[in-house]
Amino acid sequence: MANVVELPVVPPPLPKSWSPAESTAKTISPLVERRLLPAGPAYLAHVKRAVHKLTFEEHDKHVEEERKRLEALNGNGANGQDDLGVGEEEEPEELLALDAKEWKKQDHYAVLGLSHLRYKATEDQIRIAHRKKVLKHHPDKKAGLAGDSNDDSFFKCIQKAFEVLINPERRRQFDSVDPYFELLEEDVPTASQITKAKDPNAAFFKLFAPVFEREARFSRKQPVPMLGTYEESKETVEAFYDFWYNFDSWRSYEYLDKEVNEGSDNRDDKRYTEKKNKSERARRKKEDIARLRGIVDLALSLDPRIKRIKQEEKEAREAKKKSKGGPAAVNGAKNEEEEKRKAEEEARRKEEEEKIARAEAKKAKAAAANAAKKARRAARAADGDA
Amino acid sequence: MAAPNGTAEAPIEVSAIPTVVGINFGNSYASIAVLTKEGSAECIANEDGERQIACAVAFFGEEMYVGNQAKHQLVKNSQNTITGFRNLLGKKFSDIPKDRPTASAPVIQHPDHPDEPAYKVQILQAAPTPLPTTASNTPAASQAATPRSEPTPAERILTVSEVTSIFLKSLVQSAEDFLGKKVQGAVISIPAWFNEAQRAALEKAAADAGIKVLQLLEEAGAAAVTATSNASAQGISADRTQLIVDLGSSALELSLLSIRDGLAHSLATLSDPGVGGDAIDDKLIKYFAKEFTKKTKTPLAVAPAADAQDRRAEAKLRLAVEHTKRTISASPGAATCAVESLKDGLDYTGSINRLRFDMEARSVYERVYAKVQELVAAAGLDLYDVDEIVYVGGSASLPGLDEHLAQGFTESIATPFTAGTVVGGGEGDPTTILARGCALQAKLLALLAEETEEEREVKSAFAYGSKWQQAKATNKTIGMLFPEENAEGPLGGQWIPVVLRETVVPARRTVSFEVDLGESEEKKVGFEVWEAKEGVKIEKIKPPRDEEEEEEEEEEDIEVKEKTVEKESLLASLTLAAKEASQKNGRWTTKLEVQFVVDAEGKLSVTAWEVGKNGRGEQASVAVGPA
Repeated sequence: MANVVELPVVPPPLPKSWSPAESTAKTISPLVERRLLPAGPAYLAHVKRAVHKLTFEEHDKHVEEERKRLEALNGNGANGQDDLGVGEEEEPEELLALDAKEWKKQDHYAVLGLSHLRYKATEDQIRIAHRKKVLKHHPDKKAGLAGDSNDDSFFKCIQKAFEVLINPERRRQFDSVDPYFELLEEDVPTASQITKAKDPNAAFFKLFAPVFEREARFSRKQPVPMLGTYEESKETVEAFYDFWYNFDSWRSYEYLDKEVNEGSDNRDDKRYTEKKNKSERARRKKEDIARLRGIVDLALSLDPRIKRIKQEEKEAREAKKKSKGGPAAVNGAKNEEEEKRKAEEEARRKEEEEKIARAEAKKAKAAAANAAKKARRAARAADGDA
Repeated sequence: MAAPNGTAEAPIEVSAIPTVVGINFGNSYASIAVLTKEGSAECIANEDGERQIACAVAFFGEEMYVGNQAKHQLVKNSQNTITGFRNLLGKKFSDIPKDRPTASAPVIQHPDHPDEPAYKVQILQAAPTPLPTTASNTPAASQAATPRSEPTPAERILTVSEVTSIFLKSLVQSAEDFLGKKVQGAVISIPAWFNEAQRAALEKAAADAGIKVLQLLEEAGAAAVTATSNASAQGISADRTQLIVDLGSSALELSLLSIRDGLAHSLATLSDPGVGGDAIDDKLIKYFAKEFTKKTKTPLAVAPAADAQDRRAEAKLRLAVEHTKRTISASPGAATCAVESLKDGLDYTGSINRLRFDMEARSVYERVYAKVQELVAAAGLDLYDVDEIVYVGGSASLPGLDEHLAQGFTESIATPFTAGTVVGGGEGDPTTILARGCALQAKLLALLAEETEEEREVKSAFAYGSKWQQAKATNKTIGMLFPEENAEGPLGGQWIPVVLRETVVPARRTVSFEVDLGESEEKKVGFEVWEAKEGVKIEKIKPPRDEEEEEEEEEEDIEVKEKTVEKESLLASLTLAAKEASQKNGRWTTKLEVQFVVDAEGKLSVTAWEVGKNGRGEQASVAVGPA
């Protein structure tokens, strides 16, 4: 925007008698030549206007766009440091009121302010996020503030969350039972949802695509084939279901283990808990496999592509059957006859042409022989004369 | 382990601040500035903790000293100490005046290159590597004589360009140590009188030192960049006439700039190599030498010194008064000067207060003032036309200079001393202003794109002698006149200058202000656009007689100056009906925004809007000049 200079002056009211006078000059006085100092942003702006032949308004627009672009670029690292897209997240009251003793129940990603990234967060991002949170919530920062200065509960939560997430094994265990996804997992589309939809075809892809995307993160094999679109070929669709029926999941349930009571020295007690945990894990895993299979079964039964493929196959089969007899065969015979006739005609015509040609050739030969005879006779006569 | 974790996309790389530096390369002192995290420029200290780095290179034995350490070598090792080399850049040996006595290594004709100045210094060459040895580690058979094992004395011939390279390299090295990154480019300041050959020589020296020169910026330009970088904060108008007083240690350079909305051009320049910090040094040295003689009864004749002992004493004093001058600049009290073993093993400690100092330096101040008057007169202006003074250089930090100069200007003149930005390395610190300006310029240049033809063209506009630097400027001030009933003065109304004279075109100015509409119901705004001649009226009045001191008072007229405006030609007039006016105490007022645009051909268009609650209202416009 143009630089508007605010002036402190207040001009007086117009005299009643004033009327616009005739101007006494047509132009302003002649300009003088000057050499600019090539320095400063104002010179750059001046040259840009001259080189790009811009008016002031156009230049204003450019400058504004450039400013917006830079702002957008710098948006992530507002503090000048690159935070790898960790950013700032809101910290609701409930989050800050978390009890460190209940750390198993907390959402570690939310505690570190990574709930927008979750299992996608890299190790560096986790470190940055942890550092940010520590700087903000360290008990030393709270000293002197009103309230209980010994309340470092949330800080402990942060440390616990970092401990879990920075260890790949423990992080995987937590990712397996991430509370955020647990909620989503319950929300699997049902058969009636799709069949009763206005456009069952579109509804299928709309409802099932996110489900498969979500489940894909558990696969040991990457990349995972996704649901795709209606136009997918038969092979792709088959490969998709093949993959998902043989899904190899890393999901495990150690995180939900009951704590072995460390206080008791009772070995039997420990063994009992361990045994129970093990069977519990196995049961959960089995349930999970069954759950996933259920989803894939459901998807297969509702998949409009399967119907389409079956339909196509059926059509192809029928087409094959029909080609052996029936109207298609009759048609073919007719064609053959016609072709035969055409060929015969062609042959006949050719024969005639050849006959004519032969006859003509004979005539020409005979004529040539006659001519030769005549010439010989004439030559003999001439000899006789001589 | 397959990796579902850690797959978030990388954020966009943001190139925050380029690693570029600004170098103020004076004849006696240099300074370096880098960009801070906030994007502003900051003068940095070198590894000796010195912001004002002496332009000196000294050789002693195997060692080479650069900067202030080298300056100390002037006492004992002056023949191997090189100073004042910048001004010799790009000059031929025959062009250099030989009659001046120097305290440093003499300039000689280069033995190999014709007509090229050079320095000859005595150095110690490092011991050569021992003779080649055989496999059994015994000396191999060799015809050569056994080499010496200690360093050998040798002569080294250095061209001016080489010395400059060595010095610039050390400056950039300091900056790199400070930044912890490689310096990608630099803007180096040069005096306005540098010609093509001198520019080329400096550029070559910088290239030899491995520095990418983004631009050689005239000192006035560098000062203008710093002065305009936060003009709005200082509360001075963006359109102003600026006087740059560059009082370095070896020369005085004056420039009168017309700064119009950040766009600067020079109205006049003047340089005087005879005035500078060295002249002040001479005075101070003489003063202290006299004091020394008074105290110790030891004769000491300095500036010029007669014998070798006195010369050495002078060199010692010269180093010491540097500190005295800085103390005087920084604090209002007295400053001391202490030299150990000044002469005949006698120490000297003396002090000088500001009053005494100003008395000693008075002749220098007066010469500066005279030159300023000369400069302003050369530009066809009066001292009253100057709106701002910018001081540059170490000697310009002396408050006495400002006090002395201020007498001739308007009372409202803005100087860094009145703004209080000199002390503590503030915005107007004369010693760092050039380096900071260069750093800001370097940032500007480093961020320029170079993809399209036009963008390259824009970049080339910063080179020396680019055609884009040629511009046209207005000759007279254009402004608005609000006619007033029973107005005082010859104008017949209130005059608001908008496009000042010496404004480079194309130019746009937008002003906004409140307008009084009076009490009547007919709400109309009207004004005339005039071209006016601004001048300064000088009146001589008799001083008021003071009854008591009558006899001694000399009868002299006092000059009283006043800025005047004379209407020259009426260009157009504009009326506008005020619809958004609001009433207060029975009087109607409204807010008006007026935009003046003068295009490259000198066509003026004036547009006025009434600004209400919903932004700009209806506009009225008029154009003057060739269609």
